[in-house]
Amino acid sequence: MDAYDTADSDEHPLLSRLIKVGLFLLAQGIAVMLVAFLALLVSFGTSWSATTEQASLLQPGEARSGSLLLKEDGAITEAIRVGTDVDITVSGPTLRARVTQVFRNPTKDWVEATYVYPLATGGAVDTLKMVVGDRVIVGDIKERQQARVIYEEARRAGQKAALTEQQRPNIFTNSVANIGPGETVLVQIEYQEPVHQSGNEYSLRLPLVVGPRYNPAPIVQSVDFRKDGSGWGAATSDPVPDRDRISPPVLDPARNAPVNPTSITVRLKAGFALGEIKSHHHNVKTESPDDTTRVVTLADGVVPADRDFELTWKPAAEKAPSVGLFRERIGDADYLLAFVTPPGAEQAAQKPLPREVVFVIDNSGSMGGTSIVQAKASLLYALGRLQPNDRFNVIRFDDTMDVLFPASVPADATHVGEATSFVGALQARGGTEMVPAMRAALTDKISDTNMVRQVVFLTDGAIGNEQQLFDAITTMRGRSRVFMVGIGSAPNTYLMTRAAELGRGAFTHIGSVEQVEERMRGLFAKLENPAVTGITARFSDTKADVTPAIIPDVYRDEPLVLAARLDKLAGSLEIKGRVGDRPWSVTLPLQSAAEGKGLSKLWARRKIADAEVARTLREMTPEEADKAILALALDHQIVTRLTSLVAVDKTPSRPEGSPLKLSELPVNLPAGWDFEKVFGERQQLPTQLRERHADARNQPATRRPTPAAPDAIRLPKTATSAELKMIAGFILIVLAVVLFVFNRRRPLLTDAG
Amino acid sequence: MPRLISPLLLALIGLILFGDGAYIHAKAWLAQVLLERTFERSIATGQAVKPWSWADTWPIARIEVKRIGASAIVLEGASGQALAFGPGHIRHTADAGERGIAVYAAHRDTHFHFLRNVAMGDVIDITRRDGQHFRYRADSSAVVRFDASGIDPTTRDFELILTTCWPFDAVTSGPERYILHATLIGADR
Repeated sequence: MDAYDTADSDEHPLLSRLIKVGLFLLAQGIAVMLVAFLALLVSFGTSWSATTEQASLLQPGEARSGSLLLKEDGAITEAIRVGTDVDITVSGPTLRARVTQVFRNPTKDWVEATYVYPLATGGAVDTLKMVVGDRVIVGDIKERQQARVIYEEARRAGQKAALTEQQRPNIFTNSVANIGPGETVLVQIEYQEPVHQSGNEYSLRLPLVVGPRYNPAPIVQSVDFRKDGSGWGAATSDPVPDRDRISPPVLDPARNAPVNPTSITVRLKAGFALGEIKSHHHNVKTESPDDTTRVVTLADGVVPADRDFELTWKPAAEKAPSVGLFRERIGDADYLLAFVTPPGAEQAAQKPLPREVVFVIDNSGSMGGTSIVQAKASLLYALGRLQPNDRFNVIRFDDTMDVLFPASVPADATHVGEATSFVGALQARGGTEMVPAMRAALTDKISDTNMVRQVVFLTDGAIGNEQQLFDAITTMRGRSRVFMVGIGSAPNTYLMTRAAELGRGAFTHIGSVEQVEERMRGLFAKLENPAVTGITARFSDTKADVTPAIIPDVYRDEPLVLAARLDKLAGSLEIKGRVGDRPWSVTLPLQSAAEGKGLSKLWARRKIADAEVARTLREMTPEEADKAILALALDHQIVTRLTSLVAVDKTPSRPEGSPLKLSELPVNLPAGWDFEKVFGERQQLPTQLRERHADARNQPATRRPTPAAPDAIRLPKTATSAELKMIAGFILIVLAVVLFVFNRRRPLLTDAG
Repeated sequence: MPRLISPLLLALIGLILFGDGAYIHAKAWLAQVLLERTFERSIATGQAVKPWSWADTWPIARIEVKRIGASAIVLEGASGQALAFGPGHIRHTADAGERGIAVYAAHRDTHFHFLRNVAMGDVIDITRRDGQHFRYRADSSAVVRFDASGIDPTTRDFELILTTCWPFDAVTSGPERYILHATLIGADR
């Protein structure tokens, strides 16, 4: 190479010089362009340096699903788990359930566990017991804040404590503090509930899992006061302020075995000779010690908590008794529970009024899987039942909404055909913006008073902003009646019952495709037959506090259920109403009432629901309603929105200084749901363990809504390669200069030689 | 002629490397100038203002240590992109002035170069985007690994952490981080 160079320069000395000058100019040009280019880059976002840093950078949010997952994957089998045993005793019109949750901690850490679980909507939770070893600690009812303070103090002091809080009338949380390594703590709650009756059939429903709820995004996220001191600003308006309290982690069934094993025993003492008994969604074994008693247990022993347990029973006789009257004496008051089934509609043979029916179908992501199939089948059945002189419309919604016809149309073959193909093409996806759909359904465009206006709403009710929906129904119901159809394996029964109550309609559950026809037939019997209206209840000899305060219209096959608190058990109860245009009345002598159990709790629970309804209807101010609820709850020892049960083991167990980890127990996805439809392709997180210091300076009163705290904060990479590059660049330039000078000198030496 | 190619090539690469390094500093400096203007506008309007139209972050606070005359505008998020322009507020940590712990991170050789000069007891002033002003006092510092920071995100006190890479004078990046802990001593709402 050297030899060639020398020869070259010897042959064309002038040319070689020119090339040298040219190359020098070229290098200068490149350098200038480079500097200019760099200056330009300042104004453009990405640069080489920034992109190389990104790869190694970890935000806490990513760390949870990224590198830490390896560590936590191993922890899945090691995480704290809960098992549940439910023991239900049905005595005539009421049932008492004992739910025992077993919290087992196989880890090496002290753990605080929180578990979100559903209970029956009408249930009155009145007992909490915590079992540690051979000690049983009985919980007390306290105001919610006060209970929280007691619990937090015990938690910090290292004492075992359990806290039962109501998040919704059908969603509760149990928190258990200071479960030691390898320890097991039992938490037992008990509740009282009325048995549900419909026509000839009695039923109980035991929800086992809280389905993931859709929580609409807040419109304004914080308060921003203007700086000019005028006091004007935008207010916070989160439709679901307690969203993190009702959203436990949900396990992807494709990646995790089902958790939360549950065993169920039902001791059925119906009070009459029993006929058919049926469990709709679980295999059961039934024993019959005598005619009126049955013991029902799960055939498989335990099942994962992923769907509602539903049990129905019928009397052996042709007809169920149409009247039931039960009493209980607590303190100085008598409590009465009355069931009256108004006469069937056989006698109301007159032609039913033409109807305007608006069907609303929820096709959001939570309906994915079997739910949408059930909803579509139900709606298609309903379309087939329409009479030619009826009018109808169809609305579908997810986070968007479509109204099929601009206004309700006659139910002729063309329109029904159009609606059938519209419904047939529906796919489940997206969020659940239920309020706009309800508003659209309640908008009465025709206002034809000769027609009965009915809204049939098919949904799983998987939303967290129930109150907004109730407000919409209250303000817009007009003359419309709202009938709710709860779809799927774990519907939100609280939403169904309250919406139907406010909408003066009825509700039904459809848990499988097989139930569609039977249940929809029952619903249509209610839609097509006149209700018993204008019902009043009067006690002849005694002052009585009757609930529900506004006695609802009673639809076909449904009983009227009244609870009352009486000064004395004397005289009779007279119930009057109208079936269609005929008067109807019945008189029940109170002396013939049979002994019942837990009726006072049911009365109180129902009174509390009355107060909540009155609040929604703006008949009571929020403060008045809260006061009434609190008084009832403390009086009757039941858990409500404002009261919690708390149990504290006085013996400290966690040694001072050892840390406490918080574990939010995961729940199953309700059976038949489609994980990806609800959560998208999101990586599902295993149980989150959070480090928590239990030192005394912590403020107990408010549990800060932690901004999705990860295990620990990982710090990003915070060194640029600027200096390294500048040093390397500088060294290279110096090297180049040295080389250049050295290369120039050699030819000069050669020339001289 | 070809013997000139190798030194020229070397010089070119050297120039590119040097320019790239210098560019990081230039960008860090220039961005702060732009951000300062944007931040003033944010305070005035009360809205989140993006410093340039395609930015995926926005200024949320100003850090000042008056004793050593240091100041920087903090951006939301601590992605590599954001950190190139200013200190980043690590997501999922509290906002300054709120209950909990606020964590700000920045490069040791640019925006948090001043961190080595902050002594215990120094007052750190934070001005939030909404104009609220908070005073923190530096009370401890530590050197930790990036994945074992020991920062308790569930704390119920009002705390602040400024963090950068450690050691300050190293040329390559390592797993160690310097954290400066401060506690709220006063607010001017």
